[in-house]
This record gives sequence, C-alpha cells and structure tokens, in this order.
Amino acid sequence: MKIKVTTVGLVLALALVIPLTAYANRDGFDNVVKAIERFYHVKHQTLPLLARAGIKAVRTGAKIRGGEYKQIAEAGSVRVAFFEEQRFDSRGNIAAFKALVQSTLAENWAPLVQTLAPKDEEQTYIYVRDAGQKFHVLVITIEKKEATVVQATLSPQTLADLTKNPNEMGKKLTDEVTISDP
Amino acid sequence: MKTLFQTLLKFALVSALLAIGGVSATAQTAKLQLDQLDVLANRASETVDVKLDEHLMQTTAKFFSGKDPDDAEIRDLIKHVKGIYVKSFTFEKESEYSPAEVESVMTQLRGGGWSKIIGVTSKKDGDNVDVYLMSVGDEISGLAVVSLEPKELTIVNIVGPINLEKLTQLEGSFGVPYLNLPPPKPKSDK
Repeated sequence: MKIKVTTVGLVLALALVIPLTAYANRDGFDNVVKAIERFYHVKHQTLPLLARAGIKAVRTGAKIRGGEYKQIAEAGSVRVAFFEEQRFDSRGNIAAFKALVQSTLAENWAPLVQTLAPKDEEQTYIYVRDAGQKFHVLVITIEKKEATVVQATLSPQTLADLTKNPNEMGKKLTDEVTISDP
Repeated sequence: MKTLFQTLLKFALVSALLAIGGVSATAQTAKLQLDQLDVLANRASETVDVKLDEHLMQTTAKFFSGKDPDDAEIRDLIKHVKGIYVKSFTFEKESEYSPAEVESVMTQLRGGGWSKIIGVTSKKDGDNVDVYLMSVGDEISGLAVVSLEPKELTIVNIVGPINLEKLTQLEGSFGVPYLNLPPPKPKSDK
C-alpha cells in the first residue's frame, strides 16, 4: 500500500514537473549547470528534488509589493536544478568562476546582477534575455554547501517591478520556486 | 615613383581618418569599461556588479505606470537613461586594493570628454569621492562616480542625460548605492 501511494505521488509529481520544464529553453540553463559541475566538481540532483520544486512552483505565491500576493514566474515556465549537501570551494579564485559563467552565457544572455562573497562562498548571478513579449531570467545561487539554478519566464511588468531592486531579484525568484507557503 | 608616393599618401590619409573616427567613436560613449576590475573579487569580502543596459532600462520605464505618483517619478527619471552600471567591492581590511588597480578606470575618465565636477577628500577617513560628467555640446551624456574608501571601492556609471539631482533620486534603486554626495548647489538667481 505504501509503495502504491509513493508511486502515485511520483507519477503526480512528474505530471506537474513535465509541463513546467517542457517549454523552457534548454540552452544556457544546461550549460551553466554543467559549468558549475565542472568548476566545483559537484553533481546536480534532478528528479525527486525537481519534483518537489515543481509542486511548490505551482502553489507558491510571492509577496512583491504592497501586501499583494503575486506569482513572479509565468505558469509552466520554471526550470530548477539543485545541488545539495555538496562542497562549493572556489579555491581563492571566485573571479574565475564569474568569468566562466559569463563566457558560458555570453552568447544569448545579458548579465544583470552579480554578487559575490568569497569568504562564505555566497554567489548570486542573474541573467536576462528577451523571450518575445516576455523575458527569460536565469538565477544562479551558490552557497558553501548548496546551489540552485532557476530559469523562469517573467512578464515585462514583473521584470520592471523586480528591476527597481535588482539585488533582491534573485532571492525573490529563487524563494518563489523553492520555499513553500506557510 | 610619383604614383607610389601618391598611393602611400592616400593610404596614410585614409588610415588617419579611420583612426580619428575610431577615437571619436570611443570618446562619444559614456559607458566605462569596468570588467578589468573583476580580479578584485578574489580579495573582496563582498562584490556587487549591476548592469542595466539600455534595452532593459527602456523596457522597465514603459511598465512604470503614470497613475502611481512614485512609479511616474521613477519613469520620468529613467526614461532617457541608457544604462546603469555599478561595481562595488568591500574589503575586510584596509589597503587590500591599491589606487593603481583603479588606474584603468581613471585613465578613461581623464580623457574622452569627461570632466570632474566634484572631488571630495577626507583626510581623516581616507575617503575620496569624485564625480565626473560627460557632455556632448550642451547635453549631458553620462555620469560617473568613483568612491575610494580604505575598505570599499565603488564605481557608478550612468549613461544618458543625468545630473546630480537625478542621481540622488536614483540612490537605493536600480542597484545605485547611497553615495553620500554633497547636495547640489542651489542655482543662483543672478
């Protein structure tokens, strides 16, 4: 019985995840995940954690202004890769990783905000590109023991709202995808 | 011989024109090259790098509604701005960067149409803040703030028609940090 419930849960999770990922462009996202793996000698985790993120992305709203709850990412646009319980050590050359991210994404993406704190290995990179009437936003967040790569589509209005405080943009978008509502 | 001389002369003339064209094209842009500072990130305890280009600025400006007074003010402030570029490095200890490492930026600001409009030096704290404006004719085409503190280096570069008053209004938004600049001098009626 327990196995059955788990299987049904997994199938449901997959059903939710597949539409979320199918429409996301694979360039940039995949390349940057590989770049992280090569530079830090880590491996990203996909299925179970991605499933969790997918469910949360569907039901999570974010409070971005004036008490109004609004979902930042466009429905079905979210793609996430997690790196959990791994060691991120730039070996004193965090600038080299920044340059690697830039060269990996340079062709199609424009850098928006990058924050680095080498002592704690905290890094956030936000890249943007046109997606017709909307925008794709790619957020890479790295800490000492975990990292997240999020790609989502935003409406121009949402992007404009977030651009007012670009330093907070990465956190808001990543939190929307990875933190459950209370 | 004469033909060779004429050909060489033409070649020299064309080369000179191309060189002048190249120089003036470079001189007209108020966007500073700042990426060479990125190596400081290895020593800094915190680095912030913001790049809002013209396309993003204009897209953003369109979506600030004129109905909300705050949004309308922001829209008016940024609608002609062609880019906001900020690099800020914070260090744990003093003297972890040297003025020589900022020389590549200062070289750009010494030429190419830039003029220093404010220079604040604090001997007590060791803080230096310089503000530069680039003008083409009567129009301001860019602004740069270089803030050198013992433990912090910040460069703000705004491309487009911007003045100190507008810069002050932008502080705290669009990645522009609070710069503690002296207030703009009131205009004389005389």
